[in-house]
Amino acid sequence: MIATRIMELRKRRGLMIALVAVNIGIPTVFLTIRLLTHALAPASYGPAGGYDIYTSLVARIMFVFGFIVAATLGCTAGSVDLSEGMFRHLVVTGRSRLALYLARIPAGLAIVVPIVAIGFTVVCAVCVFAAPTQLNYNGVHVPANLSRPTLESWAADHPTEVICDFPYNLGPSSGASLGNVVQAVNCNKGPNGGTRIFKQPPGVQPPPQPTEAQMRNTARTIARISYVDYSRQFLYPSNSLMIESGLWLELEAAIGFIVGLGLASLIGQRTVAVVLMIVLELILTPIVSMNVIPHLINAQRAVVGLATTHLEPGDLPLPFGGGGGPGGGRGMGVLVPESTTVAVCVIVAWLVVWTALGAWRMMTRDA
Amino acid sequence: MAETDSCHGRRMTTHTLPDISDRQAADGPWAVETHGLTKKFGANTAVNGVELLVPRGCAFGYLGPNGAGKTTLIRVLLGLTHADAGSMSLLGYDVPRHRATALARVGAIVDEPRFHGHLTGRQNLQILAAAREPAARQRIGPSLERVGILHRADDRVSKYSMGMRQRLGVAACLIGDPLLLILDEPMNGLDPAGMQDMREMILSLVAEGRTVVLSSHLLDEVERTCDAVAIVDKGNVIRQGPISELLAGASVVLQVECSEPDRAATLLDSTTIGAQIDIEPQGLAITLPSGTVRGVIAEINRVLVDGGISVYRLQEIQASLESWFLSVTSKLGAPE
Repeated sequence: MIATRIMELRKRRGLMIALVAVNIGIPTVFLTIRLLTHALAPASYGPAGGYDIYTSLVARIMFVFGFIVAATLGCTAGSVDLSEGMFRHLVVTGRSRLALYLARIPAGLAIVVPIVAIGFTVVCAVCVFAAPTQLNYNGVHVPANLSRPTLESWAADHPTEVICDFPYNLGPSSGASLGNVVQAVNCNKGPNGGTRIFKQPPGVQPPPQPTEAQMRNTARTIARISYVDYSRQFLYPSNSLMIESGLWLELEAAIGFIVGLGLASLIGQRTVAVVLMIVLELILTPIVSMNVIPHLINAQRAVVGLATTHLEPGDLPLPFGGGGGPGGGRGMGVLVPESTTVAVCVIVAWLVVWTALGAWRMMTRDA
Repeated sequence: MAETDSCHGRRMTTHTLPDISDRQAADGPWAVETHGLTKKFGANTAVNGVELLVPRGCAFGYLGPNGAGKTTLIRVLLGLTHADAGSMSLLGYDVPRHRATALARVGAIVDEPRFHGHLTGRQNLQILAAAREPAARQRIGPSLERVGILHRADDRVSKYSMGMRQRLGVAACLIGDPLLLILDEPMNGLDPAGMQDMREMILSLVAEGRTVVLSSHLLDEVERTCDAVAIVDKGNVIRQGPISELLAGASVVLQVECSEPDRAATLLDSTTIGAQIDIEPQGLAITLPSGTVRGVIAEINRVLVDGGISVYRLQEIQASLESWFLSVTSKLGAPE
């Protein structure tokens, strides 16, 4: 029975085209354009792949639109037997209505999961194989994945770039000699051109031009200070991040499908159910996830979108456009707080409750 | 082949065919049996204490005016909606307690047969077969062939005509190798040739030992197809039994073509013949009560001739199912 349910869904051309277009087509077209522009004008257009592209595509495109398309498929699976008159044929076979309902879950997932996986594989492949060869660390091209001593050694060989462009913060406690060297280096960036902050003690004469040894020594020190931040910069996503992100996307799509299935079965309508799912994902979830409403915080925590966001793999930006960025964390501080345990419970509850509601309505509905 | 009197009609034999010999249903003479079955929609009682007995192995017509509750009763029987009171059984199995077992041996079309339009006829049947026993899949081809749409089986249903969808609906019934078929208006959308095909198919299904319950507003078709009927009106079954027996209880109309119709009517009024006499331009229409013996007709002729009336023609017209239906239902002139 599952195989025939897969066939019934798979033969819906419009729906399948939408599913493929969003989950595979959009990332493919986007990355293809980047590949072409980089190939034609590499000086103007950066590499097609890389860590930043990966995190943006996964968290901001595939997560949100994957959910919506999976939900649309779920709403279709949950309502078309009724609207197209097949429900009573199926009931008359004597097969239990519960079995008829449950057969749709693996059938739908058998379509959603591979399509999400294919789209995600395309993104991973391009982001890894077309990644930049050098790290762009605050405008400085630095070799990636260096150890701390190697980075210090590299910094000693590129003292001016490190002193002028690395992001660092030197306070008075860093020592006057270090500050004098930094102050004396001509970065050609005007009064506010640099990112460093150095407070010249009042009444002190401008330092003399530093020697090469001083420059190298200062660059080593700055590299040592910046290493923690540098080590969070990647050319392309790590294997563990890709695996976690893939599972996270599949989870989100599965939630969309199962909730959509239950909702559409409950109300017996596809269009209304799809609209409600879109409202949930695009409007309700961002609002309740990022604004703490006094006295309603526990209700906010019960929103499934917030729960899945809390399960987001580290270093991805927030799906709803807030927070973080490349290597800089995902801005969890702006989210309504929720523990991982609660998030898992919320997701399980949503899956169970909507499945139960859909099955109950299917079992009690007049055919 | 064994003889049975369950149908009280013209086909009184059941056949033991290979395809249904291993389908043992529960014992009992009735394919469908209901007692006090009631279904209400708010204040409206659509099915009101229906007592229905459909014998096995025959074609059974289920007739009634619009809104009489025919389709509602079928939906209750099939578990498409629940009953508010009463008991019922299909093929001897109590429903809803043994609904799954019973429905596994039932095929049904309820209302207009609708399917997934984006799928072919064969694919729709594959979905339904998957919900039935594994052997149902093997019956898809033969079922499509039997209803005459095998050549269009791989076309999308959205391109089917209404008649083809009706045939596909019957094929959907047949893939379950049913002992009982419940067909709600199966002639809808069929052209005359299609209606004849459907009639022959129903007769052949009955000849195989299956029971067919036919709900239809085409009284002529029911009369030509069915052995027994039930008439339902306002949610109640008001008559049921073999057609021949029911019509035997109907009145007889005697058409008399004669001279001086007015004087002829006066002459007959003065006799003891209990009849309703209607004067027509060319004679009289005399409605005689059921069970009238032929001697009464001879007496009418004698009275008229003795009274100097020229009798040109005297014809006894048996009541048809339609006229009988109209006489016993509350919606005269408004058959479904």
